[in-house]
Amino acid sequence: MPLTMAVAGEVNTIKKVGGKQETRRFLENLGFVVGGAVTVVSETDGNMIVSVKDSRVAIGKEMANRIII
Amino acid sequence: MAVRIALAGNPNSGKTTLFNALTGSNQFVGNWPGVTVEKKEGKLKGQKDVTIMDLPGIYSLSPYTLEEVVARNYLLAEKPDAIINIIDGTNIERNLYLTTQIMELGIPVVMAVNMMDLVEKSGDKIHIEKLAEKLGCEAVEISALKGTGIKKAAELAVEAAKNKKSTAPVHEFAAEVEAVIHEAEEMLPEDIPEEQKRFFAIKLLEKDDKISGQMSSVPDVSACIQTLEDAFDDDTESIITNERYVYISKIIGDCVKKEKKQKLSASDKIDRIVTNRFLALPIFALVMFIVYYVSVTTIGDLLTGWTNDTLFGTWIVPGVTKALEAIHCADWLTGLIADGIVAGVGAVLGFVPQMLVLFLFLAFLESCGYMARVAFIMDRIFRKFGLSGKSFIPMLIGSGCGVPGIMASRTIENDRDRKMTIMTTTFIPCGAKLPIIALIAGAFFHNAGWVSWSAYFIGIAAIICSGIILKKTKMFAGEPAPFVMELPAYHWPTIGNVLRSMWERGWSFIKKAGTIILLSAIVLWFLQGFGWVDGRFMMLEAEQLDSSILAKIGNVIAPVFAPLGFGDWKMAVAAVTGLIAKENVVTTFGILFGFGEVAEDGMEIWPQLAATIAPIAAYAYLVFNLLCAPCFAAMGAIKREMNNTKWFWFAIGYECILAYVVALCIYQIGSLIIYGTFGVGTVVAFLLVLVFLYLLLRPYKESSTLNVKMKTVRARS
Repeated sequence: MPLTMAVAGEVNTIKKVGGKQETRRFLENLGFVVGGAVTVVSETDGNMIVSVKDSRVAIGKEMANRIII
Repeated sequence: MAVRIALAGNPNSGKTTLFNALTGSNQFVGNWPGVTVEKKEGKLKGQKDVTIMDLPGIYSLSPYTLEEVVARNYLLAEKPDAIINIIDGTNIERNLYLTTQIMELGIPVVMAVNMMDLVEKSGDKIHIEKLAEKLGCEAVEISALKGTGIKKAAELAVEAAKNKKSTAPVHEFAAEVEAVIHEAEEMLPEDIPEEQKRFFAIKLLEKDDKISGQMSSVPDVSACIQTLEDAFDDDTESIITNERYVYISKIIGDCVKKEKKQKLSASDKIDRIVTNRFLALPIFALVMFIVYYVSVTTIGDLLTGWTNDTLFGTWIVPGVTKALEAIHCADWLTGLIADGIVAGVGAVLGFVPQMLVLFLFLAFLESCGYMARVAFIMDRIFRKFGLSGKSFIPMLIGSGCGVPGIMASRTIENDRDRKMTIMTTTFIPCGAKLPIIALIAGAFFHNAGWVSWSAYFIGIAAIICSGIILKKTKMFAGEPAPFVMELPAYHWPTIGNVLRSMWERGWSFIKKAGTIILLSAIVLWFLQGFGWVDGRFMMLEAEQLDSSILAKIGNVIAPVFAPLGFGDWKMAVAAVTGLIAKENVVTTFGILFGFGEVAEDGMEIWPQLAATIAPIAAYAYLVFNLLCAPCFAAMGAIKREMNNTKWFWFAIGYECILAYVVALCIYQIGSLIIYGTFGVGTVVAFLLVLVFLYLLLRPYKESSTLNVKMKTVRARS
């Protein structure tokens, strides 16, 4: 399911990162890799703050929808 | 021996703090050639022959952002003698990802593991020797904030640079991947140094299209790529990214002991509240209210009043005049220096304290981590009209001064979003436009509060409408780039860093006062002080102003503004001097109406001004001045940040046309409503409103191709 549907505080494993090549690369460099853990810290209107590899990353709804967990 | 050390690391890893601690005030700030990425260089404290180069904050050495390209071109082409790789210890996994790439460059590396105090506080343990061994380089624990360990890091780097012993990377990927990398290394041209082969081989395998510019000949590695992609059923870049993280997880297990904890960190708890769906906007509004209340209304006003009235008004200007008279200086020279230069520049410098207070607050919000959250909160709203949340920070700073505001647009990675932000930032009334608002509100509207509110409202509306309209043109078509931004953990900033950031922004304003405004004050003084009387060119008395060169120029431009309701030459001239600096508008009125000096809001000239034009024309005049091209200094900033002459003129042209059209509509339609005047102008105004509505409401362009290509960036060739 897409990351936007994840419950805050639960640890999830990334299955796939979709979206445009460039954004996907950027996310991978930030630590969003397949098999990595991701936790939603807070969510507003689909935009979310997630915890990945010990750092907090804010991502827009469009992008969160393309991260499959 | 001169040694060059580069400082590389992730954004928010404390790189700037470390750089400041290492170099002190011994810094040189510039731009990387050809791009608007900041370049900072400095000399190591106490060792003049050691140069430290602060590279932009990067997550990897891939070619996707300007910063990454700049950083890696520097590292490859300029080959610094050593690299200090700063690592955020609280976020070690992600930070080591960059380290594994830096290790492949064949340059001696010293790892500086930062924020060790925070790591210890959370109960985690990092075994630094083990980490050093596993990555094959020197490593030190530091705290850039407290200044511990930084001396040792610098010493190790200098030593490593002098030994010239490049550390070979010891990290290894899966055997199959390693085999293919070896195969690709064999195919590389001869002139690539042995220690850089791994880097080039991997970049070729990753299909990195910018690497070929760094090589004499490019071998064809498509067979190797095919082998890898078939074996892993993924594209090569993802495979290698994955391999790096796999290796890092492996060594992390040995070197880092983590306290088992599921609890949220303090930073997360704050975020739960601050970025909460319902509370985010009210909290943000409250923070902004406090910032502006303090910096504009209370402390700022007090400081500005003191600078204007006491410092310049009673001390400097009369003092200079007396001093000049005492040495029997020629009258015209006394006039030039006292009335022209000192008063002109002084009027501008009066804003400095207020602006510094505002910048102090903004610097604090930025370095404590709240500003990044603001971008995130505002992204929801800004996205609706085609801008990214990151556009908000430039606009916020722009409410103080447009120059640092425009410069703050650098943080926006997406080229289209950045250009649009640059074009619209100056619509927000900056500090220098406030006197114009005060003048018009006072002279025509009995100081009604709605005038200044409406000025901000018009600024915001102009940004929103421009966002929508521009997004529907071919040039800006396409979705704004998806919002992705790392949020640093909340922390107390150091006083030094906040003050430094405040000063850097304030200084760009003071510099403008010292250069461009100084020059324009002299020119203006000359233009209005000299002219032709009875066919003879001479210096004029105050009452002969109508014969001045300035009046001549004004009369030529004035008809252009007639449809806007302010065809008087004095109004035209004041608007033009507003291009030099917006606060000049009020000063110019003062001079033109025969008052040597006026208060900041021009109270002395209210009656005369009110007699010149109708209130609705005055309001149109105000709007024109708010929206039209900003002052020269801000235009210079636009030119620098656009880095392209065509785009610069487009931005300026757009702003001027928009200002003209809006002012025209306000005057013409306003006159129709208030006085019932109807004429050609009214028809034109209604037609313009229709065109505007069409541009605003037509459907978005289908095409979403990005036709603004990122400029190819090369290090000094």
